[in-house]
Amino acid sequence: MSSFRFHVALAAAKLSKGLIQLLGRNGTHTPGVIALKICPDFLAQAPKAPLTICVTGTNGKTTCSNLITDVLEKDGRRVVSNRTGSNIVPGCTTNVINSLTFTGKVRVDATVFEVDERASRLILPYVKPDYLVVTGLFRDSLKRNAHPDYIFSVIDTYCPDSAKVILNADELCSSMLKKNSYRVFYGIGKQPDDKTEPYNLIADYQICPNCGEKLKYNYLRYHHIGDVVCPKCGLHSPDKKYLATDIDREKMTITIQEGDKKTVYPLIHTALFNIYNEVTVISALREIGLSADRVKELMGQIHIPDSRHNETTVNGVTVIQALSKGQSAVSSSRTFEYVANEEGRKAILLAMDDLEDRQKSIEFSGWIYDLEYEQFNRDDVVQVICTGPRCYDHKVRCLLAGIPEEKILTNLSEVAAADDVTIDGVDRIYILYDCENYGMSCEMKKKIIKRLEGDK
Amino acid sequence: MKIEILYPEICTLYGDKGNTMYLQKCLPDAEFVTTGLNEKPLFLRENIDMVYMCSMSEKSQELVLDRLMQYKDDIAACMKDGKALFLLVGNSMELLGDYIKREDGTRVTGLGVVPGMYSVRQAPNRFNTLIKAKFNDMTLIGYTSRFAHTYGIPEDMTFCKVEIGQGSNPDTMNEGICKNRVIATYIHGPLLIQNPDFVHYLLERLDAPMKEIPFEAAMRKAYDVKLAEYGKPDLELS
Repeated sequence: MSSFRFHVALAAAKLSKGLIQLLGRNGTHTPGVIALKICPDFLAQAPKAPLTICVTGTNGKTTCSNLITDVLEKDGRRVVSNRTGSNIVPGCTTNVINSLTFTGKVRVDATVFEVDERASRLILPYVKPDYLVVTGLFRDSLKRNAHPDYIFSVIDTYCPDSAKVILNADELCSSMLKKNSYRVFYGIGKQPDDKTEPYNLIADYQICPNCGEKLKYNYLRYHHIGDVVCPKCGLHSPDKKYLATDIDREKMTITIQEGDKKTVYPLIHTALFNIYNEVTVISALREIGLSADRVKELMGQIHIPDSRHNETTVNGVTVIQALSKGQSAVSSSRTFEYVANEEGRKAILLAMDDLEDRQKSIEFSGWIYDLEYEQFNRDDVVQVICTGPRCYDHKVRCLLAGIPEEKILTNLSEVAAADDVTIDGVDRIYILYDCENYGMSCEMKKKIIKRLEGDK
Repeated sequence: MKIEILYPEICTLYGDKGNTMYLQKCLPDAEFVTTGLNEKPLFLRENIDMVYMCSMSEKSQELVLDRLMQYKDDIAACMKDGKALFLLVGNSMELLGDYIKREDGTRVTGLGVVPGMYSVRQAPNRFNTLIKAKFNDMTLIGYTSRFAHTYGIPEDMTFCKVEIGQGSNPDTMNEGICKNRVIATYIHGPLLIQNPDFVHYLLERLDAPMKEIPFEAAMRKAYDVKLAEYGKPDLELS
């Protein structure tokens, strides 16, 4: 039973949202702040939608929660999601506010929450998800997230045991979450390019968490992602209920095996990290109860959000904006690898410096020594432009990676650096940007496109 | 020259690997030996020039201590005789104390190399701060992010005097340990690359001085720009 205070908080939050929208903004954060100010246990008191899904993990949670929301909407359900808002407590509270009528009745069929993994301790116990989807746990911002062991303990402690948990079997840390809950696992089976020894700059789970013995990888994809077994105590990666077997990047299909049944789904992106996102989404949708045929039909109608990756071609040169999360060396390394392996001669602008730190603080740039700049030390990368307040740190890192100094430029201003990029003799120009720098990267792209249009 | 990297499979958090990457560039002829968790450290088996160890999770700290406790006396003797130079960054420094106190009040016994020193964990409270500090006649810049503070380091063993930021605990501006040939500091990440003067100092102590270190001009530019930013009004340290 919701209290009077709850209803006052809801009304105030709804009114604030209306006012904020009149000002032309989305109102994805402030209504939650107001509701919590008036009613601190707002999340606990709020009525729940018939279906509540939370998505968390270090990388891919925005993409996965957006895709799950897209599919559920296309399935004809009324869904709210914090897709454009914050994924900490106020953003998730705003999501709850959006799921309710002014009088506090649930007005949707499903609520999808993207949940910041560290803030999950303040969200999961109150939202009480029916399903918790975890993409995986990696290193992220050291000052916020410390290390994956810590984030594991947060999720494991605070996620209610009642949640059905959908976990990545190929990521050892998160696959050990919630051992007393209903759990299902997904993963990608052995692929031709897989390795058996860690080869990235960072690989966080090389020893057995039970006995400390060196783990043996049956296959290793990147960092510590793969299928492991401990030769001493027998610990091994869980069996996968949803196992991606064949990935066909030419036909753009992916085959997922469930028991004896194989279903061929449309492949929505060729980058391996996005293939993991797709397998995560398909597994979640199947667990929720959508038929494989229905998921297959709807997956063909959705795409990766534009704010994560988009391309525009002008006079034969393609300008690509691709998310490369600052302070997140694993996801950015995978983006670097993807970019490096794309065909053609490439110029790369790096706009990953933290937006907040530049105002009043100094960003700790240690994370760039976990980031694989070595990927850009190749002939077809013709220019690397390091931008932002830490551009000189990035330059040192580039030099250490063996990138010739004549290919490296620096500019303290990201947007001004768009004038420095070479447009002659390149096929692709990449703008790799941190989440918070998306607006800035759009400005950069606009300038480059203008130059390309004027040039030819 | 032989340099041992201890437990790189679990002790490489926060860009600490940048220090080894850079040392390899400075000392291309040196032999870098990595020692795994289940091996006896090389510095206990033969004379080597340097031992490097970096940050780890709290769980890993306990695993490392579990493996090292059997060599406790030998480790203390090695650190005292000063044959090898030890560089410990991040929370690897905490291993040297008498104990580490967990959040629940229980203790993990430390190596006891620095009698009276102990660390206290306080998760989920994360302690983050920028650091600007004086070491000898140089100004060091860096960052620390950790769940614990360390107490009881004798004044005469201090590594650097913090000018901006915080020392080994909230009550002191003294940071880290520098005694004989042991240097331990909470400053983590690419301590060397961010501090070209400290690289020169370290190479001298390894009897391998260089007139100009690799990428020195670029490193100094990055250092100068960052150092100037410490003068920002109302600088937020975390």
